[in-house]
Amino acid sequence: MRRLWFPAAIVGLIVLIAALAPLLPLMDPVRQDVANRLAAYVPGSPMGRDEFGRDVMSRLIWGARSSLAVAFASAAIAAVIGTALGLLGGWFRGLVEVLAIRGADVVLCFPPVLLALLVVTLLGPGTGTLILVLSVLYLPGFIRVSFAEVLSARGQDFVEAVRALGARTPRILLRTVLPNIAGPVLVQVSLAVASAVVLESGLSFLGLGVVPPTPSWGLMIRGARATMEQAPMLLLWPCLALTITILAMNLLCDAVRDVADKRGGGGAPKLRLVDRLLPGLFPAPAAPQPLLDVQGLTVEIAVPGGIIRPVDDLGFRLDAGRTLAIVGESGSGKSMAATAIMGLLPPAARVAAGVARLDGEDLLRMPEDARRKLRGGAMAMVFQDPMSSLNPVHRVGDQVAEAIRAHREVPAAQASAEAVALLKRVGIADPERRARAYPHELSGGMRQRVMIAMAIANKPRLLIADEPTTALDVTVQAAILDLLAELRREEGMGLVLITHSLGVVAEVAEDVVVMYAAQVVERGPVDQVFARPLHPYTRALLAAVPDGDAEPEGIPGVVPRPDRWPPGCRFAPRCAFATAACETPPPLEEVQGQAVRCVRWRELSA
Amino acid sequence: MWWLAKRIGLSLLLMWVVATIVFLALHMVPGDPAEMLLSTGGAMPDAYAIQELRERLGLNRPILEQYGAFLLGLTRGDLGTSLVDDYPVAAEIALRLPRTLELIVAGTLLAVAIALPAGTFAAVRQGGAFDRTASALAAVLQAVPVFVLGTLLILVLAQWLRWMPAGGYTPFADDPVRHLVLLSLPAIAVAKGLAATIFRMTRASVLDALSRDHVRTARAKGLTPQRVLRRHVVRNALIPVTTVLGLQMGTLLGGTVLVEYVFNWPGLSTPLLRAVEARDYPMVVGIVITVSGLFLLINLAMDLIYAALDPRITRS
Repeated sequence: MRRLWFPAAIVGLIVLIAALAPLLPLMDPVRQDVANRLAAYVPGSPMGRDEFGRDVMSRLIWGARSSLAVAFASAAIAAVIGTALGLLGGWFRGLVEVLAIRGADVVLCFPPVLLALLVVTLLGPGTGTLILVLSVLYLPGFIRVSFAEVLSARGQDFVEAVRALGARTPRILLRTVLPNIAGPVLVQVSLAVASAVVLESGLSFLGLGVVPPTPSWGLMIRGARATMEQAPMLLLWPCLALTITILAMNLLCDAVRDVADKRGGGGAPKLRLVDRLLPGLFPAPAAPQPLLDVQGLTVEIAVPGGIIRPVDDLGFRLDAGRTLAIVGESGSGKSMAATAIMGLLPPAARVAAGVARLDGEDLLRMPEDARRKLRGGAMAMVFQDPMSSLNPVHRVGDQVAEAIRAHREVPAAQASAEAVALLKRVGIADPERRARAYPHELSGGMRQRVMIAMAIANKPRLLIADEPTTALDVTVQAAILDLLAELRREEGMGLVLITHSLGVVAEVAEDVVVMYAAQVVERGPVDQVFARPLHPYTRALLAAVPDGDAEPEGIPGVVPRPDRWPPGCRFAPRCAFATAACETPPPLEEVQGQAVRCVRWRELSA
Repeated sequence: MWWLAKRIGLSLLLMWVVATIVFLALHMVPGDPAEMLLSTGGAMPDAYAIQELRERLGLNRPILEQYGAFLLGLTRGDLGTSLVDDYPVAAEIALRLPRTLELIVAGTLLAVAIALPAGTFAAVRQGGAFDRTASALAAVLQAVPVFVLGTLLILVLAQWLRWMPAGGYTPFADDPVRHLVLLSLPAIAVAKGLAATIFRMTRASVLDALSRDHVRTARAKGLTPQRVLRRHVVRNALIPVTTVLGLQMGTLLGGTVLVEYVFNWPGLSTPLLRAVEARDYPMVVGIVITVSGLFLLINLAMDLIYAALDPRITRS
């Protein structure tokens, strides 16, 4: 709010002084006194006298008055007429729309100053001409804003309801629509006033705006130019006044816009550009060495209310050539865990604890440059939405070739040829032609194949696929999963598959990790876990989605937000078996190759 | 290609709209336009002079005939003659337009060369010392009106420090060095508003691009940070910047009028202002149509750049 009050106070002060000009003990701003021309100081004139011996301070304040009068008058006229035209155009559509909206748009074909000069030629300079020109210039802004708002308001239920009650059009417009567009119109008013002050002073400076001897900042600067050597202050005062006024108005505009957009307030979370890593809490594991060994991985994000942990003490092992699935509902932290392992966390998040060893080397504590060389090389990732994850402005073949050349010194032509071969490898027909396509020219399934081609370009040992089929059609999903399974088999890579679909898990994975609210709640071999789920959450998931393609349904409620986690078992509020014992945090217990985080698992599985 | 043809067609249509508005403006004036143009300071103009001006402007002919003759003249590049000295308007514009264009090009290049890297750097180091300094400077620059900046540049650099001449013009062929020295201050003044806008827009747009999924993909490939920035952030961020640049051109052209006046740069603004003061309507119309045409042309060029940057435009 401070961003709003400070400029608002300055603008308010300027407006107040200008409004009170006739009441202030000022000298007559137009009375000339040739004897005191360019005097730096005369009693009663603390800022001195101008080239005609007129009092500078008085002219400055009266100048503000004429600038602001023109600015507010033209903004008000434009606001009233423009909003009315926009309302009518948006309500009646058809011919009214064409005349009001497209008609006003022709104003935008002219550079503003030029249009103003054209009108001044016809009507002669003066305050009236200025107000007319400026209102015309700002008309399109108001028409567009109110037109767009009416169109969106028309479809809303409450407007439909009032309409159905038989209210007449003018009444609906005034009572229901107008209050809703007040915010955007206010933003336009502030923009128009600020811009009008600039244009008015510019035209007055050219001698084509306010007519002398009426004081105006633009005219004062114009007049002081001739004597700038003898009396530079004469030039500096109006320049300063004008600049401060416009600066305060611009800042106010930004603040008003933020408030009207309702985006202001809390502000973005504080950024940490350097990932400071805590020393590992766990000793190195005994051989045999797994491909990927994650232990105690914890991710923290600083938010205005404190620190949240979207991933809390995650651990799992993956051997080469095998598939591990991480399942859970949206918000369980599975994607965040994957980006942490890859070193791709968003700037606000950081790894607070844990290790993630790829072939024995800790990814989390390695310098960023060394990790960058592994990314896209020894480890690769396929993302959920293949449309947004490909760069729309580069050809897909180039994007694949780029992945190759980031890790291997090969000539561009060879990289392109390899890219085509990779596209063919992932099952894209006519790869030579497709390589020259842009992402938007391909289907969703084809884009995901491109993403996969990019990921396997350097024969990674580890591939992490984050919901690779969620954005795709059901028929395409199966094909992509088959492709991933085939690649894993043939290239011998380890695959971490993140999904919310238990059907997918059953089909392709050997091991499964079930996550809920940042924690592992159950972990083990897929056949074992599916045959004998120990955690009530896993049971509920299995019961809810017999053939899972969609998000699990049937479990009441949603995953709580990271700042609202219950103190004990995090699933307790949604759990059918919760008791008083669930109010203390349950530990993760190991049972015959399976792990479960539930105090009651023994009695429940009995 | 079809897209290009449509876009050029739209520009021509808008040009026709501009010409029509300018033509109609004279006739929308309440009362007799000739009387209006001749009246200065409330004195009733001479009836004979009014009649003569009506002849000159063709106001006695039927309005459609006037309109037809006006459009026909435009297509032939005939903009009529000045009311003051009978000099052909088109010849005056042909002499002065290149100088205005030079100023616009120099100012735009300067603005882009400074603001684009600065905006990118500020976004990459968001919240850092450079970002805060440059953002504050951009806000102040945006608030200083172009004629204030120009006047202050003259006061400080020409009057106080005596490093630069206060203004003027020397043809490039006569003295290239002096020509460029004289060009520098007006070019800085023209560049200031544009630079502030490009800086703010680039910063916002790069920040937005940095958080996109495809940037994460690029990092997941193991590309160096520099390459991610150049190919996957800045390249994409340029697209919205181009749009805003196009919208800003109207303000830029208006600002050029003021800058030329402040620095005595003999472009289109001198005859324009002289003509506005003398109510020399044909000259004003000629220059307004030329500059508006320039505005539409720049916007067309912006759209072409936009299409070159964003393959989704032309191909879908």
